[in-house]
Amino acid sequence: MPLGSGDLRRVVLRTHLLQATWNYERQQGVGWAWSLQPVIERLYPKGETRTERLAEHTAYFNTQPTLASVALGAAAALEEQRANGEPVDADIMARVKGVLGSALAAIGDRLFWFTLRPFAACVGLIFATRGMWVGALLLWACYNALHLVIRTRGVEWGYRGGPGVLSEGLRAALERLIGRLSVMGSMLVGILTAVLLVPGGEPREVTFQVLLIAGLVLGLLSAARARPTPSQWALGLGVLTVASAWLR
Amino acid sequence: MNLHYLASVLMGGIAALDATPVAQTMISQPLVTATVLGMVWGDLPTALQVGIVLQILAVSTQPVGAKSGEDYASGGVVGASLALALVSRQPFLLVREASAMAGVLVGIAVAIFGSALTRMLRRLNEGLGRWAESEVRAGREGALGAAQRAGVVLCFGIGVSYSAACLGLSLWGLSRFVDTESLRLAKAWNLAQPLWLGLGLAQMLQSFVQRHLVRGALFGAALIASWIILMVGVR
Repeated sequence: MPLGSGDLRRVVLRTHLLQATWNYERQQGVGWAWSLQPVIERLYPKGETRTERLAEHTAYFNTQPTLASVALGAAAALEEQRANGEPVDADIMARVKGVLGSALAAIGDRLFWFTLRPFAACVGLIFATRGMWVGALLLWACYNALHLVIRTRGVEWGYRGGPGVLSEGLRAALERLIGRLSVMGSMLVGILTAVLLVPGGEPREVTFQVLLIAGLVLGLLSAARARPTPSQWALGLGVLTVASAWLR
Repeated sequence: MNLHYLASVLMGGIAALDATPVAQTMISQPLVTATVLGMVWGDLPTALQVGIVLQILAVSTQPVGAKSGEDYASGGVVGASLALALVSRQPFLLVREASAMAGVLVGIAVAIFGSALTRMLRRLNEGLGRWAESEVRAGREGALGAAQRAGVVLCFGIGVSYSAACLGLSLWGLSRFVDTESLRLAKAWNLAQPLWLGLGLAQMLQSFVQRHLVRGALFGAALIASWIILMVGVR
């Protein structure tokens, strides 16, 4: 029985809870099986095979959560072939999941965590520093314009492309997107820095400007080391400034 | 007033859900939670003061792979709520800055210690995972959905409890301190705020530039151009 668009839509809806039971043992495994459940139910209406397939999918899986929808679509296509009697066994399924998981994580982590999230934060902060509530809305909208579209369409892309989905131009398109967002993001950080230094056209006092630049330099120098983390630096600096207020 | 605290604590649960188990739509980002809480408490300027600093610091936390980074979802909620609660008692400029200082410091500490709670939640989920697989193998396929629901409820419960405990403890411990030492804390805020902002800007720049000189040059050009536009625009 072929999969319909309704089945894929149910998978899309379930991808939002992919990480509900994230754990160190199986990572997204249980969420993955639950997301793929509508497909398994359609392909194997009843019997032991269905139970076996579902249990098989609870095994370890992990990738960037938004792009996981692409892997789910590809796994759905592979399960369809398997149900139609094509030579796809559990080993092939596990291999495809492993390869797609790693490849999608490599792109997705850079796109969503290292680029889009700081980009959206930057857009939001430019407005929030002027006291506008719309900054939060823009942060949310900027991130989700891409996140929700990819999560929703990703299952279909994966289903159409199958296990080779990343070789059909999707990888190149996502890499281009990372590059463009990074270029725009670099400029946005410049704009944000200027907005912080000259809010509303009036330059901040010299102490503020010097300390901001000192923080920037410290941040760039400390970025080369994993420890202390930026948050630990921030906590240390905060405690130091409180102590200095008592000494002055 | 009690409704404000209730809203803050519920926001802690919602942010904990959005951070990992449900949808990851960035509702959990400190700027978003602080703005919502600022509207609820009726004091957007104080909420934004705290939210902006915590947001810029939160960008450095990358939830990559199995890494349990700082929990800025809870940190943002507790930090903003603490500052709002402290200011609501004495709405003066000095108290506002002192409260923002306390809010950000507590927010960062809550975020750092929250990573231990994230690890604990993940360990608890291991049991759910094993249970779901054994149930599915026994033919009870509904166990997958039950495990997912349990995971969501567990995370919401932990998020609410952690936010409530941290907010309660910090209010109890810091209220009198902020009242009596608001001048010194306000001084500390004027020193710490630009340092934190600079530290956060460096993390953002690091994310985008990635040793590409052209991007570094674009940052510099955008900074100078914006500076000139902002300065000339006044005149």
